[in-house]
Amino acid sequence: MSEAEVDGKPASIEEATECAAAILSRARLPVIAGLGTDIAGIRGSIALAERLHGAYDHMHSARIFSDLDVLRQFGLMFTTPNEARLRADVLLCVGPDLTRVWPQLFERLAPGELPVFDLAQQKRKIVWIAPEPGLGEIAGVPVVPIEAPDLVTTLGGLRARVAERPVALDDAITQKLDAAADILRKARFGVAVWGGAALDKLSVEMLQGLVLDLNKTTRFTGLALGAESNAAGAVQASGWMTGFPMRTSFGRGYPDHDTWRFDATRLVESGEADAALWVSAYEAETPSWTRHVPLVALVPAEAHFAQPPAVRIDIGRPAVDHDGVDYSREAAAIVARKASHPSNKASVAAVLLRIAQQIGGAL
Amino acid sequence: MTSLVLALKQEPDQRLDLSPLVPHLLAGKSEAEIAAIELQTTKHKVTVGDAFTLKPGDASSIRFEGGSARLDNIGLDLKSGEIVVEGACGLYVGRAMSAGTILVTGDCGPFAGSAMSGGKLEIKGDAGDLLAAPQDGEMEGMTGGLLVVRGSAGARAGDRLRRGTIVIEGAAGDHAGSRMIAGTLIVLGTAGALPGTLMRRGTILLGSHTPLAPTFVTCGRNGFGSFSALFARLLRPTSEAAAAAFSRPLERFAGDMAALGKGEILLPA
Repeated sequence: MSEAEVDGKPASIEEATECAAAILSRARLPVIAGLGTDIAGIRGSIALAERLHGAYDHMHSARIFSDLDVLRQFGLMFTTPNEARLRADVLLCVGPDLTRVWPQLFERLAPGELPVFDLAQQKRKIVWIAPEPGLGEIAGVPVVPIEAPDLVTTLGGLRARVAERPVALDDAITQKLDAAADILRKARFGVAVWGGAALDKLSVEMLQGLVLDLNKTTRFTGLALGAESNAAGAVQASGWMTGFPMRTSFGRGYPDHDTWRFDATRLVESGEADAALWVSAYEAETPSWTRHVPLVALVPAEAHFAQPPAVRIDIGRPAVDHDGVDYSREAAAIVARKASHPSNKASVAAVLLRIAQQIGGAL
Repeated sequence: MTSLVLALKQEPDQRLDLSPLVPHLLAGKSEAEIAAIELQTTKHKVTVGDAFTLKPGDASSIRFEGGSARLDNIGLDLKSGEIVVEGACGLYVGRAMSAGTILVTGDCGPFAGSAMSGGKLEIKGDAGDLLAAPQDGEMEGMTGGLLVVRGSAGARAGDRLRRGTIVIEGAAGDHAGSRMIAGTLIVLGTAGALPGTLMRRGTILLGSHTPLAPTFVTCGRNGFGSFSALFARLLRPTSEAAAAAFSRPLERFAGDMAALGKGEILLPA
């Protein structure tokens, strides 16, 4: 397979980037979507969006903003996985897909070990709201499960019982919540771990309200697992480049942030965006919109499109085909990674630079 | 007094920012100056004259003829006068208004009446999600005034309501009155799932029976007596149905016990 295609036919990189530049620069409002790339690729994407007077969004924005909107409208207490490993004597896990979101979660948190900085040196406790099926214990630590047909309601019930306020629930369920509330109140350094698709903004705000309430009498904090495809790195790079997270537009020449207006899928479905650049270097993801829009796709060779994009350029994976800098869940920081299988596949940043060179020079 | 009339020529191909078209910003401007005001949100320039046919008049009263869901920020920061929209409008109609009146005869998009602090906003059609809610990153929603929706409203109507009264004569979506700090939200039609999630204080009156979260506990049937009658009298000129709903016997539920628990949801007894 060729490394680039124009209208489904093999093309050289020169032809493909020239065609991409033409499509994007003649659009009224182009949108750069996906944004699954390393820091260099994100910086290139945002700089190109500014030059094109376009908007940009990340493919996992919905999950990013369920945490970020709580951070900026309510406040969010959070820590790093390593801090949780060294200090947490109680883990409050929330959501049925934590280990699917981060398969190495419990290797990193090591609940079976005694927390090094906990003076009492007692075995840890784990309470799990909406538990994953079959996880009766983790590394020898029994899980106290709380079934949650509706997450925000169950979290609300638990929060009410932690604050010793009344709830309209059966005695059996109330007793279960009270037992869990007792474990949380007696924590010396508790950590609420959440992530996954099940938590919306109100659930995260409810959970953070619980953390806030517990901090009146003890220490309690949170650990958000976040989303894939360097979503947290995109938030940080966007922040230092524009002052805003993603879902920001340069339509009027200056950054304008609006989570409703600049949702990439909505922009394309409504016809407001008349061209799109899709970037997905980590996963072979394709856009979720259904409306046809002139599309330039920077994707790995495995990505499959129902309709061939106007321009498709195959790219390498950061930290696999080429060195990359991105957000690491383990370190809770942006880290540099060496290529594990160096190849000559192009990076997103390199392709974006070639596109930009056709539209007024280097980024 | 003749109104300044702006008749939309055709459906715009991009969202337009109509925030400059409020009385206090148009006062003293000539027709040519108004026609030259830029409204675009993309690199393609669109002026008032490009998008609208202008009929000059007193700018303290503005009428938009022919609406569109792409007309955003109508009546943003309105401080006085009146605006009538004959048709639909987009996001943020009446956002941050502090006085004056706005009437929308059609439907409007999300965030109508967002963070308004005074005046009256009336929507004859349906409202989108997050009616009266704070914008991205803001702490408070509506802090005063009167907001009436004759049709239905989307999810999380009255989010972070701080003060003022919202009347929705039709149905409301899920989580009506979410995170309310104070104020009054009245929903006369059906309400979606879990009204009042995370409300701290304030009053939600629902016109029909709705299952509540277990963090709302009953306080019994209440004779609110003189207060109900007084509030009903206040509501009558705005909404006969809302006044009637307050005049019926009501059961009071206190909540959201997960948050502060000093709010209330009133249901027909």
